[in-house]
Amino acid sequence: MKPFDPVTLAVPAFIVLVIAEMLFVRFTGRGRFEVRDTTTSLLMGFGSTIIGAIFAFVFVGFARLIQPYALAHIGWSWEAVVICFILDDMRYYWWHRASHRVRWLWADHVNHHSSQHYNLSTALRQPWFGVLALPGLLFLAPLVLIGFPLEMIAFVHGINLVYQFWIHTESIDRFPRWVEAVMNTPSHHRVHHATNARYLDANYAGVFIVWDRMFGSFVEESKDDAPRYGIVGNIASFNPLKVATHGWVALAKDLVSAKSPKEFALYLLGPPGWSPDGSRDTSDTIKARWAEFRAAQSLAE
Amino acid sequence: MNGQVLQLLISVGGIAAMVAICWALFGRASIKLSDADAAAALARDVPGFRAARTALSRDARTALVENARDGAVYLALVRGDGVVTRKLSRGVGLARNGDRLELRLKDFTLRKAELDLADAADWETKLQGLAA
Repeated sequence: MKPFDPVTLAVPAFIVLVIAEMLFVRFTGRGRFEVRDTTTSLLMGFGSTIIGAIFAFVFVGFARLIQPYALAHIGWSWEAVVICFILDDMRYYWWHRASHRVRWLWADHVNHHSSQHYNLSTALRQPWFGVLALPGLLFLAPLVLIGFPLEMIAFVHGINLVYQFWIHTESIDRFPRWVEAVMNTPSHHRVHHATNARYLDANYAGVFIVWDRMFGSFVEESKDDAPRYGIVGNIASFNPLKVATHGWVALAKDLVSAKSPKEFALYLLGPPGWSPDGSRDTSDTIKARWAEFRAAQSLAE
Repeated sequence: MNGQVLQLLISVGGIAAMVAICWALFGRASIKLSDADAAAALARDVPGFRAARTALSRDARTALVENARDGAVYLALVRGDGVVTRKLSRGVGLARNGDRLELRLKDFTLRKAELDLADAADWETKLQGLAA
């Protein structure tokens, strides 16, 4: 079989589905759109495509650099594609988890979470400067070193990204239990995009939610706690350039202010929100405070 | 026509169409804040937040809210159809001209906020206390 770029092929479908969701939301009220937010998300997606194409050589170059050390040379077959797809989805899970727990990676990934809305246009709100998130390259290495062809890795990853598009919606509630048990769904991914304390750092899956269930990061969406979308400390701008760079600017400022190599390392590799004096919130401190508050509330009742 | 150029044109045309349809269906949001909205936004963002004192700007787009639990002062302001909040701490720049209070923040996406308040002088004093 010959590889092709699934994302490129899917673009017309993305356009049609975003418009269909807008109409659905307008007439049912199930979801929210705001024109400046949507415009920003779409421009982020467009910029990501252009800048991603310019810097693709970094990823390809790295893969080609380590390819000679591959354990095997796997050829194209349906079985290989299926195995590569499953392994790539697990790779995506760990990359995604690291992107929420390591500030260097979060500086880039934060862009995808920066909308206070959750609709199909949010799926297209993609970072521009992934090339700066260098540790992300390491997550590419295992598949290359196992011996999957680079074109196959790119192909299955494209399918993974296309799958993730449609789960960015409030218009679909839940699927039958067996689907929700295995697959990443709109309900599971709403949890991932939510800033409610109970939902922070959960549901990192790309296609199969089983990774979250296996590695202890699964949280079920609760009817009693509707997800609120965005980031802790929501951004106050619709300017795509500011959206694309705000995480990097904040990280750079902190790195410049570091008073020791240890502080520098923790700003870079510690969790988002880490600060030397503990004056800022990490997701762990927010969750701990929330748990304390809930415990105090239930005692009072 | 080159395939990549065609792809680019489809993307640009698609973005224009989606933005136009979004505008036509939903318009441009212009929500107004109330004291209760500002307090509710902070209660969502800050676990255990309880509003003590609130000052709502006359344009109903910005508010200062004090947390009853620890005396911290927060800024809440409208962005699109949402509300953005910030804890105000030392380092916030202040300038007052009559009832107009200007806050200058060290925040890349929120450099400045303006409030038109009847008790701007009181809040300026309070915020200077934070900055000290």
